[in-house]
Amino acid sequence: MSRGSAGLPGLLGLAAVLAVVPGLAAAQSDEDELALAYGDQRSVSIAAGSRQPLHQAPAVASVITAEAISAMGAVDLDEVLESVAGLHVGRAANQYTPLYIFRGIYSQLTPQVLVLQNGVPMTTLFVGNKGNVWAGYPVEHIARIEVIRGPGSALYGADAFAGVINIITKTAADTPGTRVGVRGGSFGTRDAWVLHGGKLGTLDVSAYLRVGSTDGARSIIEKDAAQPAVTRAPGPVNLGHDSVDGNLDISQGPWRARVGYKLRSNVGSGAGVASALDPVGKGRSERTEGDISWTEPKVSADWGMGLQASFMRYVEQATTNYVLLPPGTTLGPGNVFTDGLIGGPNKWERQTRLSGFATYSGFSGHSVRLGLGYDDLDLYKTTEFKNFNPNYSRIGTGSWADVTDFSNTLLKFMLPQRRRVGYVYAQDEWRFQPDWMLTAGVRRDHYSDFGSTTNPRLALVWSAAYDLTAKLLYGQAFRAPSFNEQHSINNPVIGGNPNLKPETIHTTEASFAWTPQESLQLNVSLYRYSMRDIIRNVPNPAAPPAQLTQNRGEQTGHGAELELVWDATRSLRLTGNLSVQKSVDETTHVDAGYAPHRHAFVQADWVFAHGLTLSGQVNHVAGRKRPAGDTRAAIRDYTTLDLALRTRLAGTAWEISAMLRNVLDADAREPSLSNGGIINDLPVAPRAAYVQAQYRF
Amino acid sequence: MDTTRRALLQQGLGAVALLVGGGAVAAEPGRSVAVVYPDLGEPYRQVFTSILEGIEDKLRGVASVAVGNATPPAEVADGIRKREAKVVIGLGRGGMRIAAAMAGELPVLVGCVVSVQESEAKAFPIHTLAPDPALMLARLKKLAPSIKRVHLVFDPRANSWLVKLARDAARAEGMELLAQEATDQPGALRLYSQLLASADPTRDALWLPQDPTTVDDNVVLSMVLKDGWNRSIAVFSSNVNHVKRGALFSLYPDNVELGRALAVSAQRLLANPRSVPPAVLPLRETRAAINIRTAAHLGLDVTTAQAGFDLVYPTN
Repeated sequence: MSRGSAGLPGLLGLAAVLAVVPGLAAAQSDEDELALAYGDQRSVSIAAGSRQPLHQAPAVASVITAEAISAMGAVDLDEVLESVAGLHVGRAANQYTPLYIFRGIYSQLTPQVLVLQNGVPMTTLFVGNKGNVWAGYPVEHIARIEVIRGPGSALYGADAFAGVINIITKTAADTPGTRVGVRGGSFGTRDAWVLHGGKLGTLDVSAYLRVGSTDGARSIIEKDAAQPAVTRAPGPVNLGHDSVDGNLDISQGPWRARVGYKLRSNVGSGAGVASALDPVGKGRSERTEGDISWTEPKVSADWGMGLQASFMRYVEQATTNYVLLPPGTTLGPGNVFTDGLIGGPNKWERQTRLSGFATYSGFSGHSVRLGLGYDDLDLYKTTEFKNFNPNYSRIGTGSWADVTDFSNTLLKFMLPQRRRVGYVYAQDEWRFQPDWMLTAGVRRDHYSDFGSTTNPRLALVWSAAYDLTAKLLYGQAFRAPSFNEQHSINNPVIGGNPNLKPETIHTTEASFAWTPQESLQLNVSLYRYSMRDIIRNVPNPAAPPAQLTQNRGEQTGHGAELELVWDATRSLRLTGNLSVQKSVDETTHVDAGYAPHRHAFVQADWVFAHGLTLSGQVNHVAGRKRPAGDTRAAIRDYTTLDLALRTRLAGTAWEISAMLRNVLDADAREPSLSNGGIINDLPVAPRAAYVQAQYRF
Repeated sequence: MDTTRRALLQQGLGAVALLVGGGAVAAEPGRSVAVVYPDLGEPYRQVFTSILEGIEDKLRGVASVAVGNATPPAEVADGIRKREAKVVIGLGRGGMRIAAAMAGELPVLVGCVVSVQESEAKAFPIHTLAPDPALMLARLKKLAPSIKRVHLVFDPRANSWLVKLARDAARAEGMELLAQEATDQPGALRLYSQLLASADPTRDALWLPQDPTTVDDNVVLSMVLKDGWNRSIAVFSSNVNHVKRGALFSLYPDNVELGRALAVSAQRLLANPRSVPPAVLPLRETRAAINIRTAAHLGLDVTTAQAGFDLVYPTN
């Protein structure tokens, strides 16, 4: 082959080539070189992956990337969320469903947190959270998780109250090639998945399919809500389930279409739907969703636009009816349930959401965003099977054979319900001085059932110095009452209240981001909040039902979060955060209880040569008081240690990981509800080990 | 099986293989191209997977080989010969080792490297990851039209070739390039201090090249970004990581497009081995990152500025 220098336009002449001196390149490894163009290990996946969304509204936020998730050895979303400042993942007795507790705001099912998947709410209508039959969310197809602490209703609407968790799934650019993986470990846990990103003609395609199964940890509940003579306690919690997850993401230019599927079957009842151990009942949830969007940041010189339509179908069923209270339970004279109190409420929901936004940058120094949308939220079918009447008298002898179909009667737990929501919002980011920006936003939502609510937001951001940014934020937010809170019927204990208003919160925050050295980042956030019209169960003078849901509670709180990222050496990164908070129930003037007053998380990641990484995480949860009227001793603090090791098998496309959770087998417990019947709280996260293998084509 | 029958069978199979294989080659020119890239762990592996995707988009059926540090080049070269490849694309330092070893027998080209040795530079075309100065300065001109002078401190052992391109590019944009040489960190630090102290914020900007010697991440970068901020001097960089830290903007590789560009070069080599002479080429397949906090501090119109950028820092 010729080595002639007959250059083409744009090519460099030989003279300049000769200026390149030998010896220089020898010191550079491939990783070192690539870091010069793409950034270091931790940022290369951002530069190499899909385009980032444009600048978002100022907030106190954390972003966890796929690389960080992989390094920490997390196998489920909840393990990742526990590492976020100001957020602690608790558990409910019912199904052991995770409770996302932001900044001291605890409730029985935490519907005060908006969980989004690619910006679309995962909220289910019955209880207003992401669904009680949740049974985990895998992480292999997550590109990043954005967590906003504090209110977000001015942009996101309902339930962006205590915090927002937005799970962004991988697109074709994030997952080039094909990966297959298997994982197995403690509690009979086994998972297999395939993840692919590539081209199909001119389309960018990303696909993910996972199947899994686990028997779940068998931690012991010492005493439950069942009558002492018939209780199954002490006995193990029931956390087994089977999982199928699928995602398909297709895009071309401004168009993107996604389909998602999440099936959980044979889901154990946790510590029992009624806080009484139930090894028999099994739940199933099936979530099918799809969305299509068109986004054009530059329609004209000053305008950008986007449109989205999404659909979700959610079904939650008791595939084997729950034994709410065990065989032999006696509820009043002669009212003995031979096989226990058995019930199975089932719900079918479909949600259609249409939204559009426009951005305008034609006013100098201003960036305006306008949006509107319409949601049709339809819990269109309910069925119920039970062996008891609405006043808890047994049917027949209270046996399995006496379980009766109430689906086509008015005596079931709830009739179908539907609400429609229309909303508009506007936000302006105004840079009134080079280093000062004021963001003002407001959103008005109109609900077909409870009326309208308007929620403003203000944020002042000051670039005080090269290495210091200060933010002052104020926001109001609301939580829409769930259908269960509004329309629960035929329950002698708690009745719904169709006249409920939304819960509200006002939050003021200050945050400081300081980078004293290139290797050290510090963030400090301070906040104060005030909740009003909290929806609570209040004694009903006209019983039954014994209690009615009412807008009765008030709670105030304040706290601080300190976050630190320190690249101690090229191969060692230390991250950590400390969160402290104090929240007071203004009705009783005592601590609101349940949520940790102190939460510390420290992670050390070592990156060795040849793709070997070792990560250790210490999680300390402390200062959880009992709420008013709960005379139990304060729940014990706990500290867990997790380890994860990941390496590539030299010369192969295999990557092997080993994860050890709660290495020291600390007795970690989450608080059970006051007067819920479970005395010694809910044991969580016993020691566990998993091994994972991934092959990349 | 006797020898004659075996020979007949081999002949027959050979003919079939020729027919099938020949057809495949005609339909898939990629079969004549082998891509060698370093066998790295994530996340860098993703870079090469995306580049390969771009190559395959233009050259279907291309053979790709991942090589570890310990793999003897001769072994890899043998494997490529057996595939009867007619052109070799070497990616990264690992791929370049193999390409260099085979350059005497096949047309080769190299991509995805930053620093280049003299012998390699004379031997084959090298698509580096250094953003084309013409693209960098065009971006600068668009963002900050008042800038007339661009200061650049560079290690002549690493970036002489780029400085020549940069001078031409500056001239084309109506700017002046003031390039000063430094061969170590203290020297670079001294030069940066002097020029930041004397620079005029309305017409001077500072360009940080890809160079671990003169742009040390801890000492030099911290000082330059801090003084640049305090004196409102626009500092832009060829390393995208610096944007997150406060540099005004950077360009970084668009991997899939880079793959396509490499494939086009390989096609030209396939058609005519003389068509692509040895040279060091800057990166023209780029994406762009901007720091709007810095842009605002410099008094630039942020909403206008961030249009056309793929990464925007800070995100909130």
